[in-house]
Formats: sequence, structure tokens, C-alpha cells
Amino acid sequence: MPPSLGHAGSSSSSSLVHLLSPLPLSTSYSLPLLSPTLSPSSLLLSPPPISYYLLQHYVQTPYIISVWLLLASLAKILFHLSQRFTTVVPESCMLILLGLVLGGVVLLAHEKQLYQLEPGLFFLFLLPTIVGDAGYFMPSRLFFDNLGAITLYAVVGTLWNAFCTAFCLYGVKLLGVIDEKVDAGLMDFLLFGALISAVDPVAVIAVFEEVHVNDTLFIIVFGESLLNDAVTVVLYKVYMSFVEVGPANVGTAECMKGLVSFLVVSLGGTLVGLVFAVILSFTTRFTKKVRIIEPLFVFLLVYLAYLTAELCSLSAILSMTFCGIGANKYVEANISQKSRTTVKYTMKTLASIAETIIFIFLGISAMDKTKWAWDTGLVACTLVFILLFRAMGVIGQTWVLNRFRLVPLDRIDQVVMSYGGLRGAVAFALVVLLDGEKVKAKDYFVATTIVVVFFTVMFQGLTIKPLVKWLKVPRSTNRKPTINEEIHERAFDHILTAVEDIAGLQGYHHWRDKWEQFDKKYLSKLLLRKSVYQKSELWEAYQKINMRDAISVIDQGGNVLTSRLSLPSMASRSSFPEVTNVTNYLRENGSGVCLDLQVIDNVPGARVEEDSETHHFLTGNLYKPRRRYQSHYSRHFMPAGEQERQEREVFQRNMRSRMENFKTSRHKRHKKDRSQKKVFLLYLRLGSQGVGVEGNYLPKSTALEACDSPSMASPTCGERFLPWKVGAGSLPPCVSVEATKVIPVDLQQAWNQSISSLESISSPLNLNPNPRVTALSPSSVIPNPNLRFMALPPPTLNPNSNLRVVALPPPALNPNPRFSVLSRLAGQRPVSSPPCSFSQSEKEQQKEEEEALSEQQQEEQPLMSVRPPAPPLSSTPGERRRNPCVYLRSLVTVPPAGNTETHSRGPTQL
Amino acid sequence: MGNKQTIFSAQQLDAYQSYVPFQRLFSRYRDLAPQLVPLDYTHQPDVKLPYELIGSMPELKDNPFRQRIAEVFSEDGEGNMTLDDFLDMFSVLSEMAPRDLKAYYAFKIYDFNNDDFICKLDLVKTLNKLTRNELTEDEVRMVCEKVMDEADMDNDGRLSLEDFQHVIVRAPEFLRYRHTPQ
Repeated sequence: MPPSLGHAGSSSSSSLVHLLSPLPLSTSYSLPLLSPTLSPSSLLLSPPPISYYLLQHYVQTPYIISVWLLLASLAKILFHLSQRFTTVVPESCMLILLGLVLGGVVLLAHEKQLYQLEPGLFFLFLLPTIVGDAGYFMPSRLFFDNLGAITLYAVVGTLWNAFCTAFCLYGVKLLGVIDEKVDAGLMDFLLFGALISAVDPVAVIAVFEEVHVNDTLFIIVFGESLLNDAVTVVLYKVYMSFVEVGPANVGTAECMKGLVSFLVVSLGGTLVGLVFAVILSFTTRFTKKVRIIEPLFVFLLVYLAYLTAELCSLSAILSMTFCGIGANKYVEANISQKSRTTVKYTMKTLASIAETIIFIFLGISAMDKTKWAWDTGLVACTLVFILLFRAMGVIGQTWVLNRFRLVPLDRIDQVVMSYGGLRGAVAFALVVLLDGEKVKAKDYFVATTIVVVFFTVMFQGLTIKPLVKWLKVPRSTNRKPTINEEIHERAFDHILTAVEDIAGLQGYHHWRDKWEQFDKKYLSKLLLRKSVYQKSELWEAYQKINMRDAISVIDQGGNVLTSRLSLPSMASRSSFPEVTNVTNYLRENGSGVCLDLQVIDNVPGARVEEDSETHHFLTGNLYKPRRRYQSHYSRHFMPAGEQERQEREVFQRNMRSRMENFKTSRHKRHKKDRSQKKVFLLYLRLGSQGVGVEGNYLPKSTALEACDSPSMASPTCGERFLPWKVGAGSLPPCVSVEATKVIPVDLQQAWNQSISSLESISSPLNLNPNPRVTALSPSSVIPNPNLRFMALPPPTLNPNSNLRVVALPPPALNPNPRFSVLSRLAGQRPVSSPPCSFSQSEKEQQKEEEEALSEQQQEEQPLMSVRPPAPPLSSTPGERRRNPCVYLRSLVTVPPAGNTETHSRGPTQL
Repeated sequence: MGNKQTIFSAQQLDAYQSYVPFQRLFSRYRDLAPQLVPLDYTHQPDVKLPYELIGSMPELKDNPFRQRIAEVFSEDGEGNMTLDDFLDMFSVLSEMAPRDLKAYYAFKIYDFNNDDFICKLDLVKTLNKLTRNELTEDEVRMVCEKVMDEADMDNDGRLSLEDFQHVIVRAPEFLRYRHTPQ
């Protein structure tokens, strides 16, 4: 016999070690997959000597494995040729049928079954791939939400099934329904009951994945199938020992031992899994330089968790499941995107192929007459009993559960759960593992198990889909909530939150809240890369966009967004006023891209798009309810202090609108303003220490620096510094003369003041004790919108700091006011030519916007909107220009303070 | 609680049994104005707490709907609540309350002008409360149009209770306590 390694009973460490020892690359090694009697020639119906030697070759083992894998994969392709067929017949059924056919062929040829599902192979290689995949991609939130129910079903349900089935079978045997030939006592039946009662993860995944019942239902059945492993292992082991010592010698001590070993096996397995999860997460923290082997760590450590638990005779499935669940969050955050994809696909591929092989071999194994003996009474009774007790167990437990569950499981759920209790390969592998010497009725049990497995997988698997449809079980849907729902739900969130708070209802998720806090405080710091937990997603997005922007600015010589295709700009709500109507807006900018990654860019139609747009800005703007009652579960992923949370929300919102406004302002500037030439922007950069100090935006050491921006420099002097204008001795033609004309004489003084104030700030030597006032008070004439945007500090910035930078409402950033003010100015003063030609409707909108401006912004507006006077043309055109790369970097990251010297030249030259 | 024991008649206690955290609710209610709320409730004292007090509860302070909730549940419609009103509010919004009842009160809460229809004005108010007036008029108008579009079955430009219930039927998560596992 090949090393038949026990999942449970016979999984002594020695046999494990034996099996784990490196495969001897000799001809003597026979794959556990193949029965030892296999002569190589038997693979071919008429063995020519050449192939004999060929197969005797050392490539035999891997060759056979590969061929089987290929066969399984091809079978999959075949089944999926017909779409209609696969929607009716589950794949698992087809695979079993294929196995039956293959087994039949082999049987006809050799009158002996050569292949069968070997427990060693199954438990060591096939099962782990499936469980690993299941654990790693387990929806952990859902799983832990329903953990109570899952555990109850897994432990109590399985015990109930096992005992009832066993005792009833024994009773039926005493009544004489089961043939006398079946030589089995109570202990044998208990053993059989233990292995036949457990719901099988492989079968459940295979069948339920195609049924698409709702998530709760799925996770309960599926979670049960994973967690009941511990029960099965312990029962199986305990009864094995009972059978060995003989029923007469079983006393209370043994029973107690069984109970204790259950705790040890289940908790120990979980613990091993969690330890490995920590190791895995911790390891991936340091793989930055060796990205290429990141996925390997995931596979290896998850697999090691399985093997280690098996080695210690603990529940391997539990171990692997919890390793996957535990590590997923941290690993996903640590490893790179590509590794993530690799892990995902490899796991899915392996699991899928393992599943295929399991089902094929189940079919093949069934075609082995020598292994089993048929007894109609036993088979029929077993089938009836497992179905009956499953249903009774589910109903009873659900009745208990529903008294505690806030969302009760209704009748339909119970039917599906009862019906979904599928048995599968685990039961089969366990029954094959039985020792025929001690369990005399083994052959009968094998036959019964095969029938049960086939019945559940094929018959129930086939019928569960129509059943689900007929019962109208709520399916899992990806339907987006309608706008009504979105609004009403949010509104009622607010209302209910208040009620819950006052009533002091202990949230269901009290513990999860605690856990999340613990996770945030300690675990994340230990297991996540620094860069990961310090950087919020928003910041990543922000930096990316910033980078992209900067590149395009440089690439396109300031003509930002000339090609909207190459630079998807954000369709932002702030641009609505421009077009009165979103529909028009969207029609105009079909390629609008929004920050919301979930809004996919395929555009099925204006209506849908409009909807999604509405959803998008609703999601962005509906405030989340705020909780007072501390111990409550938080709706945010990372619970923060109440205050902090609210502030963060406001802050993020501001950030977002700032970003969007920035984008749109550029976009619009480009669109409307093309004739008008580039406007002028001072990029204010802050030294890195300058940021993140609460309440004091610019600490004393800050090197605040103003540098000219390509796109927004003063039309004249700014242009000269543009990197791409190197050598352009004269004013670029796009600088309109009007722009300079617009500046009222009396404002020139204000402008000059602003320049000087900027200079004073930007000089590193000038340690202003309270730079905030100087730099950002409304009276200072720093050209505004862009400054505000660019000056946003790294994530540590507390929104609380009374910066005007962050706190200014979005409209101030909108370029429209600028124009409106300009036009107003133009109207007031007899300026030779208006700065721009607006249509009547546009002007109206601008007026609306103007009204929206706060007083203080009103004060600022004229200042910021005014074009600076043309600087003396005597400035040397050949002035040193800023290196685009440096500029780029400055946009994306905050440079160290010491590095600011070169940049600060810009403003002083103004 | 010693001599500060609150007194209720057996009948009252019986009626209040259904409020699960009754003790807590009562103490919260009383804490708002200890000088007003008597400990002895057997004589059905006619005590009303003014809205200012109700609205000042820290849990409600930031709630955009606080005034509306209080108004809907108070007998006088102005947010001044008796103990019964106060408890009613919780019983209606508690987990145990039937969905239809909740939906009815939800409708009433939305119906700012008490005309038994949710009209555009009501929606605008709701939206502005939810977004803290951050949407522009155009956006608000658009959302309102959408909402009407989706839910207004009889095309009269406003949502009746039937319309509203119809919407809610489609949203299984609606009115469900957020902290329930789903």
C-alpha cells in the first residue's frame, strides 16, 4: 500500500513524515494515486515493450499526474461548451459521471480498478488547495457576523446527525431491516455515523457556487462544512479508539477524553492557523524587495498551517481556514497588486483543478466492485436517516438560534440549509481509511458512503437549483440600490442611530468594534507595512492624480487637458453649474471619469450614466450618521474617535472636492480660456516639517516657498519660467494682451504687496513666528485657488487646524467666480476689451455662483482673480528655468526642507 | 436606587414592559429635567419636556433629523414630548416594531409640511439635511427628479404613502437596524 495517511485516525506523525519525505525519483516509487498493483503497461491496452520501458522511466509519476490534470481540465472545457447545459447540470455531477465512465472503461479493460481516490493524496494535496482557497477568500465580515450560527450548526448539528444516524441505524439493524451479513455493532455504526454526518466543504462549494443563494445562507452552510471538521476528526478518532479497545471497555473516562480532545483539536487547530496567519502577515511585511516570491509565501505558509495542524493531530481544515481568514487582510495590504492577482488566480486554479480531480476520482472509485458490498437496507436507511436528521437538526437549531438572531432564518432558509447538507469526498476518504480488520462491515460502509455522496452531490445538486428558484429564495444580487433607497436608508440610518444611542442598545458588534480597535492599535502596526497603514487610500489616489496631472502639465506644455482622452479628467459635480443640467454635462463629456472606482467607464446610456452620476455624488455627499454611544459598532472600517471620525469625513470630503475642483478648474480654464492664455498660479510648497502640526499650519521652521507654476504663472513672467518655453525669448503669443489690461491700476499696488509678502514668507531665513497669519490671512494677496490646493500637506494634516487652506468651501476654487469677477470688473470700469466673452447664460450662472460665495471669499475673489500686472519685460528671458523633474517631484511629494533652495528662486524673481 | 425609586402603577409597568430598555429610557428622560419629571408616575402627571431639552441630548445634537423626529412623535406636533411620546418614539423605531409601522412613521418624518404627501419640497429638505447643504441647487433638483421618477407611481408629482411603501418593499435593508448582521 502506498502510505495511506490519515486525515484523522491513522494520521500518526510517523506516517506523515514518511509521506512528506522527498519523493524518491526512482522507479520504485509508486504514486499514492495509483494502486500498487498497477503495472506500467496497464495504462495501454496492448502494451508494446517500448512503452513499457518508457513508462518504467522515472518520469512516470509526474507524467501520470500531468495527464490526469490535463484530462480534468479538458473535461472542464467540454462541460462549458454548452452554456445552457451547464446552467442546468452542475459541473460536479458531470465530473462524477465522467469518472464513472472512465472507471468503467478501465474496469472493462482490466477487470480491476486501477485508480481510486487515495486518502493520502486527498488529504495532503487535494483538500488543502480547496480549503486554502476557501479560507483565504472567505468573506470574513460575513463569516464572523454569523460565527455563532455557524459554530452551532457545525458542532451541535454534526453531533446530532452523527448520534442519531448511528443509533437509528443500530436500531434498524436490530429490527432486522439490515441484512445479517452486515457485521457491525453499535460502535461501528457510531463510527459510520460520525463520518457520514459531516457536511462536506468540497461538495458545498461546488454546488452552492452555482446556485447563488444569498450570502447569509451560503456562509452558514459553507462555514458549517469547514468548521465541522473538528467534530468529525474527534468523533472519528474517538470511535476508532473505542472500536480498537472494544465496546466493553469504554467508560466515562474515555468519553471525557473525547470531550477534551474535541476542545484541543478545535481550539488547537484554530490557534495553529492564527499563529501561521501572524507569521505570514509579518513575513509579507518585508518582501518589498522580493516581490516575485510574495505569492509563494502565501501558498507555503497557508499550506504549512495545514500540515502543522495535521502533524499535531489537530484539525487541519480549521487551521487552514483561520490562517487564510486571519492573514488575508494584512497580506492583501502588504503585497503588490500583481502578487495579489497571482495569488488569487493560482489559488482559484488549484482549487478548481483539485475539485475536478476529486469528483472524477469519486466516480472512478465507485466502479470498483472489489471495494464495496451492497446492502439495500443499509443504503436506504442511511439515506433516509441523514436527510431526516439533517432536516430535524436544522429546524431545531434554527428555532433556538432565531430567539437570538435579529434577522431570523425563515422557513425557506431552513429548507435550503437542510437540503444543502451535502456529503462528499471527505466522508469517502474517511471511510476508505477504515481498517477492514477491525471494522468488519467496511465494505458495506464504503458502498453506502458512495451512494450517499452520489445522491447528495448528483441528485440534490441537480435539484437544488430548481428548488431555490421555486421557493424564491432571495438570491445574491449585485443590484445597486435605487436612489430612493439610498436616500431613505441614509436618512433612517440617522434616525435609528439616534434611537439606538439613546436607548443604549448594545450593538451586536460590540466585540468587533473592540477587535477593530485592537487591530488598529497593535496588530496593524505589527503586521502592516508602515507605508500601508500610514497612507490612506484617499492619499494614494490623491498622489496618483497629482502625479498624472503634473506629468501632463509638463508633457503638454501647460495645455492641460488638450487631449481629454489621454488624461481622463474627473467629471465632477462642481462643474454642473456650467451646464445647468447633468445630462447635458454628461453628453458633453462622455469620457468623464470620476474618483469613484466603482463607477465603471462603460457607458450604456445617458440614463444609466445619469443614475450612476447621481449615485456617485450622493455617495460622496450623504453624511454618515454619527454615533455617540461609544461601544457601538462603527460603520467605518477603521473606527476612530468620534470627533476624529467626523473630522476625517469632513476633511476627506473637502479634499475630494478640492481635487475635483482643481481638475475641473483646469479643464474649464482650458476650455473657456484657451484664447485667454494660461493663468497664473503660484505653487506654494511647504517644507515637509511644515505640515501636520495641528492648529498651526506652518511651524516656525517651515520653509514656505512659492514657486512658479507652469500652467498658472503670471501670464508674462510665469511663462518665462516654463520649462518648455526654454529659449522663447519673447512673450508667447498665447498671452493675451487683455489679461494685462484688465488689471486695474489701483490693484497693482495690492498685487505688489502680495508679491512682497510672498517673498517674505518664502525666504527660509525669515522665521515668521506665526506664518499662518501672514501667509493665509484674507488680506494677503496670494493667488488663491491653486495655492490652496497645492499647499495641502501630507495625510497627517489635521482638518482641525484652522487653515483657510482646507476649510474654504469648494466654490472658492471654482474658476468661474474669477471670470465673473473679471467680467464684473470689466463692466464697472471702462476697460478697453472684456477679458473674455461669455454667453448670457454663462454669466447668469456665474452670478449664481457669486451669490454662493461667502463674504470672506468675496473679499478674496477680486484679489485672486486679478491678473497681475505685467512684470517688467526687462526680465531676462533666458532666466534659469526650473527643472521639470524637480517640479514634478514637488507636486507629488513634499521635498525635504533642506532641498528648497533652488525652487525658492521662482518667487523672488517675481 | 434607595428612596429615589421611581413608582409606576402595575398597569403602566405592564404597558411599558414592551420597551426593552425601559429603565434606561426613563432615566434618560428624567435626566433631561429632573426638576420637571416626577418620580411618581402613578397619577399620570401631565409633564412635557420642551423640544429644546429633547434636542439637546448629546446623541441627538448632531442628528439632522432631531427636530423632525421629535415633532412627529410628540402629541402636540411641536416636539414637546411626554414620557409616553418619548417611549413611543423608541417602540416604533425599535427592532421589534413591525415594518409597516416603521414605514408609516418614516413617511411622516419625511413629510415635513404634514400634507400626507412627500412633495419635492420635503425631498429637498431631506436631502439638504443629509448633505448639510453641500449640494448645489441643480444637484438637489436632479436628485429630486430622480426620486420622483423612480417612485412616483401615479405621476402626480408627489409621493403618497403607497408609493413610499412600494419603494421600501424593494429595499430589504431599509429600516433594519444597522448593527444587525445581515
